[in-house]
Amino acid sequence: MRRPSWLGGRSDAEIDEEIETHLQMAIRERIERGEEPREARRRALLEFGNATLAKEETRSVWTWIRLEQLATDLQIGARILWRAPALSAAASVLIALVIGGNTTIFSMVHGVLAKPAPGVVADRLVTLGWVTDGEEHPAGSFPHYLQVAAASKTVSPMLAFEFQRFVLTTRDGSYAIQGANVSTNYFDTLAIRPIAGRAFNEREGRLDASGLVAVISHRLWREQFAESRDVVGQTVIVNGHVATIIGVAPPPFRGVMFGEGSDVWLPLVAYAQVDRRSAELANPLAPFFVMIGRLAPGVSRSEAQAELATIAKQMPRVPGDPVRSRTIQLFPYSATAAGDSLVAQRGPWFLAMFSIITALTLLIVCANVANLMLARAVVRSREMAVRQSFGASHARIVTIFAAEALAIAATAWAAAAIFAFWTTRALPRLMQRFDGDGSRIAFDFTPDWQVLGYAMLLALAGTAIVGAAPAIRTCRQDLQPLLKAGEQGVVQGRSTVSSGLVVLQLAFSVLLLTSAGLAYRSLSVLTARDLGFDTDKLLLVTINTRAAAPTPDANAMLLATMVERLRGVRGVTAASYARRPVQSWWSVEPIATGTDGKPLLAEFNLVGPGYLAAMGVRPLAGRDFDDREADRGAIPVAVNQHLAAALWPGQPAIGRTLRLRSLPQPVVVAAVVPNAFYSGYGRPSDPNFVFVSASRLPQQLGEMTLFVRYSGALDDIVPAVSRTLRAVDDRAPIVYARTLSEQLQSLTWPIHALAILLASFAVASLLIATIGQYAAVAFTMRRRTRDFGVRMALGASADDIRVAVLREGLGLTAIGLAIGGALSLATAAALRSMLFGVTPTDARTYAGVFALLAAASLVACYIPARRASRIDPMLALREL
Amino acid sequence: MSDRRENRGDLLQGTLDMLVLQTLRWGPAHGYSISQAIRSSSKDVFRVETGSLYPALHRLEKRRLVRAEWKTSDNKQRAKYYRLTAAGRRHLTREHSRFRQLVEAVHALMRARGQEG
Repeated sequence: MRRPSWLGGRSDAEIDEEIETHLQMAIRERIERGEEPREARRRALLEFGNATLAKEETRSVWTWIRLEQLATDLQIGARILWRAPALSAAASVLIALVIGGNTTIFSMVHGVLAKPAPGVVADRLVTLGWVTDGEEHPAGSFPHYLQVAAASKTVSPMLAFEFQRFVLTTRDGSYAIQGANVSTNYFDTLAIRPIAGRAFNEREGRLDASGLVAVISHRLWREQFAESRDVVGQTVIVNGHVATIIGVAPPPFRGVMFGEGSDVWLPLVAYAQVDRRSAELANPLAPFFVMIGRLAPGVSRSEAQAELATIAKQMPRVPGDPVRSRTIQLFPYSATAAGDSLVAQRGPWFLAMFSIITALTLLIVCANVANLMLARAVVRSREMAVRQSFGASHARIVTIFAAEALAIAATAWAAAAIFAFWTTRALPRLMQRFDGDGSRIAFDFTPDWQVLGYAMLLALAGTAIVGAAPAIRTCRQDLQPLLKAGEQGVVQGRSTVSSGLVVLQLAFSVLLLTSAGLAYRSLSVLTARDLGFDTDKLLLVTINTRAAAPTPDANAMLLATMVERLRGVRGVTAASYARRPVQSWWSVEPIATGTDGKPLLAEFNLVGPGYLAAMGVRPLAGRDFDDREADRGAIPVAVNQHLAAALWPGQPAIGRTLRLRSLPQPVVVAAVVPNAFYSGYGRPSDPNFVFVSASRLPQQLGEMTLFVRYSGALDDIVPAVSRTLRAVDDRAPIVYARTLSEQLQSLTWPIHALAILLASFAVASLLIATIGQYAAVAFTMRRRTRDFGVRMALGASADDIRVAVLREGLGLTAIGLAIGGALSLATAAALRSMLFGVTPTDARTYAGVFALLAAASLVACYIPARRASRIDPMLALREL
Repeated sequence: MSDRRENRGDLLQGTLDMLVLQTLRWGPAHGYSISQAIRSSSKDVFRVETGSLYPALHRLEKRRLVRAEWKTSDNKQRAKYYRLTAAGRRHLTREHSRFRQLVEAVHALMRARGQEG
C-alpha cells in the first residue's frame, strides 16, 4: 500500500529510491572490482537481503498510528464477516434491534417525561408537589401557595394555577374550552410574552373597577377574532361572566401541562370573586392549585428543596386539619410533571426503569454477540495462533477483533438509526387513538439527535464488550497445541467468560419476564374484575351548565329537563346524571359514626333521579332516586352493602340516619345497593360508597355527567343525544362524550402500554437468551468433539454424552434462574405502585416464568447435546 | 510495535545507532558508504544488514540526531546524504561512555568468573 508524504515522514518513493541507490552503488563497486555484471548484481542482491522488508521496516519508522495496518485489519475484518454472512447478519440484527428499540423508547420517554409543554422554556423551572402524611399530591391550597411563595427566596417567582374547563359563549353559540385560573405572575414566571397586549399585572389579582380580565390563546384569537389587531379591549363571556381581553399568548403556548390545550387564562382571585368562590379559595384545606416556580439565579435544586422543606415545616397548623405532616417535594419541570397524571408522579421512576431496562437489554445482546464471536474465535484459534507465531502482537490481534466488532456495530447503528426514525414517527400515530378524557393528547417524539448520539454510545459500548471477550481469549491462549494440525479437541476446561455471559442473560431474562408477567397479570386482574354493574352500552356525556344555569336551582331544573328529554330519545333505555363519572376522581367523605373515634371513609357522589337504573343496578333494599325527592323531608342517600354492614351490622339499614362530614344536616338511607366498583378500577378492594340525591343538594355548578343507557348502535345514539341536549339549552355545551369502556381505558392504557413494552422486551430477551445459551453450549460441544469421540470410543453410550452436555448446560440455567429470581424479587418492590390485584411476589407469575425459561433452555441445550451424541468416534478422532 | 521486534532491537539498535553516528563524525555520508565504512573499520566483523541500517538511519533522522539531504555523489549519482547534528554529537558522546561502562562491566564480570573457574 502506498502512503502519500502528507501523512508525515518520508514518502514511499523516496525510501524506494534511497534503497535502490544503495543497491546500484553496491553493484557498481563489485563491477569496478572486476566482477561480471550479472554476477555482481546477483551477489549484491544476495548481500542486501530482503529489499521489500527493508523498505517496509524503514517505512514503519515513520508510521505514527500505523494507519495502513488498521486499514488492513479492517479489510480482514470485513472479509471475515463477509465469509460468515449468517453470523454477521445475526449479530448486526441483534444489536440493531436493541439499539433501535432503545433509541425509540428513549425518545418516547424523553418526549413524554422530559420535554416542557410547547412554548415553555424549562430553564430552571421546577414543579412543587405536596407530600401530606407520606402521600404525594400535586396540588395545594391557595393560602398555602401564598405562604410558600412569600417565604421562599430560592424559588422565585412562583406561580399557581388551576386547570378548568369553561363554557365560552360567543355570538354563534357556546363552546366547551379548557383554560386555567392563574396567579397574576403566571406569564412572567414562565417568561412568556403575549404577542398582542400584555400579561396580567398585580392589580388584576384583585377585582376592582377594571373588572375581570383574560388572556386568550393564539388559537382562540385566530378562530374567534380572525386575528384582529384590536382584540385587546374586546370581551369574551366565560362561564357567563364577561371578561375583557388584555393579551394574546404566543402561538404554541397552550398551558404548562401535558395535553392541557388551554385557550383562556383568568386571574384566579378575581375570578373566584365573580364566581362567588372566594370562601373556597380562602380555605387552607382545599387543594386546587399546582405550583411551578423558577429557581433563583445560582441556586441548586437541592438548596431550594431544603429551604422549602423548612418553610413547609414552619407553616402554622390549621385547626381541623386532618393532615399531620405536610412537606414540599421539588421536581424538575416538564409537561408531564405539572399535572396530576399518573405519569407525572411516576416520571423519574419511569425514566429510571426505562434506563435500567435499556442497559440490561443492551448488555444481554452484547453478551450474546460476544458469545457468538467467542464461538468463532475458537474456530479461528488456529488462524490467530499462526498470526501470533508470525510475530503479530497482542495489540494487533485485539485490533483485528475490534475491527470486526466495529464493522458489526457500524452496520447495526445505521440500521438502528433508520429503525428508530421510522418507529418514532409511526408510534405517535398509533397512540393518537388513546385520547384519554376528551382532551386529545399530542405526542411529540421527534427523533432526537441527542438520543441518537446516545445510541451511538451504546453501539460503541457494545463493540467494546463484543471485541474484548474473544481478543482476551486469544491473547491468553497457548499457541503450541493449536499450531499442531488442528488440535482443537484439546479440552481446555469451560470458558468462564462464556458461562458467565449465559448466566447473566438468563438472569436478566427472568427479571424482564417476571416484570412483564406481573404487569400483564395485573392488567388481566384489572380488566377481568367485575365492576359489579353493567359496563356495556352506557354512554357518558359530560356537559357544562355554568353559562346556562346561574343558580343551583336553575341547574337542577335544567338537568331534570335534559334527563327527561333524553329518556324520550329512540334507543335510550335509561338516563340519569351524576357529579362524577365512572373512573374519575371521587371525593372521599368521612362518615361520622358517633360511637368510636375512627371515622369510616366512603367514596361520595351526587347523583340524579334514576341513577341506579341507568347504572343497571338493582337496589338490595329500598328504592332508586326519583323525580319527587324535592318534596320529601330528609335528604335521601344510597349506601352500598359494605358500608351498611359496617354501620349497622345485621340490622336493616333503610330509614336510618347518618351524618356526613361535609353536610350540616343528617341524611336518611333510602337504598342499599350491592357492592360494586362504582368509581371504576384501581380502587381498594372493599370500597364504601355513599350516593346523595343531587336534586336535594344541587349546589355544585359546572360539569355534570349524563349517564345514558342505550340499546342499538352507538353511531345513531350520539347525534340524537347531542341534538336533544342542544335543543334543551344551547348554552350548555357538551364537554365530551364517550362510552364507559372508553372511559375505563383511560386508566388501563398506561398499564397496557407498559405491559406491551415490557413484554416485547421480555420476549426479545427470552429469544436472545435461548440463542445465547445454544451458542454457548454448541461452542463447548464443538471444542470437545474429540473428547466426546474418545469417550465414545471407550464405550460411552449416546445417552451418556447427551446427559453430560445437558447437565452442563442446565447447570448454568439453574444458576441463572436463581440469580434472576433474587433480582426480580428485589426489583419488584419498585413495581408495586403499578400493580393492581397482584403482589410483587406473585407465585404464579414466578412459576410460569421459571417453567418457560427452563423449557426454552432445555431446547437450547438439547440440540447440541443430540448432535454431540451422534458424533462418529472414528471420524472425530481422525479429523480433529 | 511488536514486542518481539523491540526485544531484538534494544540490544542491536543502540549499538548500531552508535556505530552509524560514529561513522558520520568524519563528515556527511550516504547509506552505502556508511555500511562500507562500518564494515571496513570493524575489520569486517560487523556487516550491517541493509534491513537494519535504513530503519536505523530513518529513526535517527526522526529523532533529529542526523539530518538528511539529497546530493549528487562524486560519480554523478543522486544519493541521500546524512549529516550529524549537534544533538547527534551529544548523543554519541553519551552513548559511547555508556557503552564503555557496559563493556567494562561485562569484562569485569567475565574476569571474575574466570578466576572462580
